[in-house]
Amino acid sequence: MPNNDNNKRFTAMVLPHLDAAYNLARWMTRNSHDAQDVVNESLLRALKYFGGFRGSDARAWLLTVVRNTCYTWLKVNRPAEVVTSYDENRHDANESDAENEACDTPAQGPEELWLQRADAELLNRTIADLPLEFREILILRELEELPYKEIARIADIPIGTVMSRLSRARKLLRQLLLKRLCVEPTNEL
Amino acid sequence: MNCESVRERLELYLDGELDVIEYREIEAHLRTCMACESIARNQQALSRAVKAKAAYHAAPPGLIDKIQLGYSATPTGLTIARPARVLTIAASLAAAVVLTWSVALLTLRTAPEQPFAEEVIAGHVRSLLAQHLTDVASSDQHTVKPWFAGKLDFSPPVDDFATQGYPLIGGRLDYLGGRAVAALIYKRRKHTINVFIWPVTGVDTPGTQHLTQQGYQLIRFARQGMNYWIISDLNSTELEQFAQLLRASS
Repeated sequence: MPNNDNNKRFTAMVLPHLDAAYNLARWMTRNSHDAQDVVNESLLRALKYFGGFRGSDARAWLLTVVRNTCYTWLKVNRPAEVVTSYDENRHDANESDAENEACDTPAQGPEELWLQRADAELLNRTIADLPLEFREILILRELEELPYKEIARIADIPIGTVMSRLSRARKLLRQLLLKRLCVEPTNEL
Repeated sequence: MNCESVRERLELYLDGELDVIEYREIEAHLRTCMACESIARNQQALSRAVKAKAAYHAAPPGLIDKIQLGYSATPTGLTIARPARVLTIAASLAAAVVLTWSVALLTLRTAPEQPFAEEVIAGHVRSLLAQHLTDVASSDQHTVKPWFAGKLDFSPPVDDFATQGYPLIGGRLDYLGGRAVAALIYKRRKHTINVFIWPVTGVDTPGTQHLTQQGYQLIRFARQGMNYWIISDLNSTELEQFAQLLRASS
C-alpha cells in the first residue's frame, strides 16, 4: 500500500517540524490566523509533493514549501508587502516615528549593554517592522539556526545574497532598536 | 588579516560559516584589536538578544487536528506501538495520554541495520507531537530523580547542565524495545533533546556511535551499566558536547 507508506513517512518526517513551519508563517504573515491558513495550505502542498522528496532534511524542505506558500498568499492578500526590491533610503535611520520624538536625552552606557537589556516586546515589534525579505532571512538564521547554504536553498537565492541580506537585516534591526532605545551607536552604522 | 577584511567576515565568523583557518585568523585578530572586538561584541549582543528573546511561535495546540490531510486523524497505517504488557505498567499515567496521541504513536518500518535508531526517533517524535514532553516538569534533578522511583526498576542518573547551556526540563516514562525506559528532556535554545536511559542487559557495545537519520542526530553509548540514546535536531557539534557532559557526569 504505497499511499499508506507515504502517509506514514510524512507523519514521521514532516509533521515533527510543524512548529518550525508555523513559526516561519507567523513571522511572515505577522498574525496567527493567517499563519494557520498558510500552514494548512503548506502541509497539503507538502503532502502532495512528498512522493518526490528524496532529501534527508525534512525541516528545510517543509520550510521551503511554507515560504513559497506565504509568498503566494501575501501576493493575493497583501500585495503591498511583497516588494520586489527594497529601497534602503525609505527605511533608513531618518524615518521618524512617534517613539523618536521622546528621545531628548540619549541613554548612557555601551550599546552592547542596551542590546542585552532590550525586552522581548520591543524586539518582537522591531523584527516585525523589518521588510519581509529581511525578516524571513533573519528568522531562518537566528530562530531556526539554519546554515547559509540551507537558507539559500529555502529562499532560492545565491549564498552571497543570503550574506548581504542577513547583514542588512541585522544592520536595520540594530538601527531601529537603538533608535527606539534612544541609544547612540558605539560603532558606525 | 587587516581590520577591513576582518570586519567583512565578522558575521560569517559569528555565524560559524568560516573554515577553521579563517576562523583562527579572525579570533587572533580580535584578541589584539579593540576596535574590531567592540564591533564583534555589539553584533553578538544583537544576535543573542534575538535568539534568546524573540518569540518562537510554536504551532497552536489543535492546529494539527484542523488540517485535513486526507488521511484520518489517526493516520492510516499508524498503529499503536505500545505493547499491552507495558500499558499495564504505565496505566496510571498513560490512559489519558493515549487518547490525546492521535497522530503520535508510530510504528516505523524497521530498517534491519538500525532498527533501534528508528524506535528512538519515533520516541522523540512522539514526545514532540503529542504535547507530552514531560511527565514531571522540573529543572531540579532532586525532583526528577525520585519521581522515577517506583515507576522503573532502576534509578537513572539525573543531572542538570543549565550552567553549560543545556538546562534540564523534566522527565518522562517512555517505551523502547518493549521495555519501560527513563526519558530525560533537555533544551538547547529552542531545540529539544531527549535522552533515553535503561540498564544494560548482557554484553554491552563499547564506544560511542553517531548517527544521522531523518534529519535527527543520534548518539548512543553505555556507561556504568546504563544504555544512553541521545536524540535531537540540534547540530552534531553541540549534541556531541552535550554527550560529553553526560558521559563525564554519569
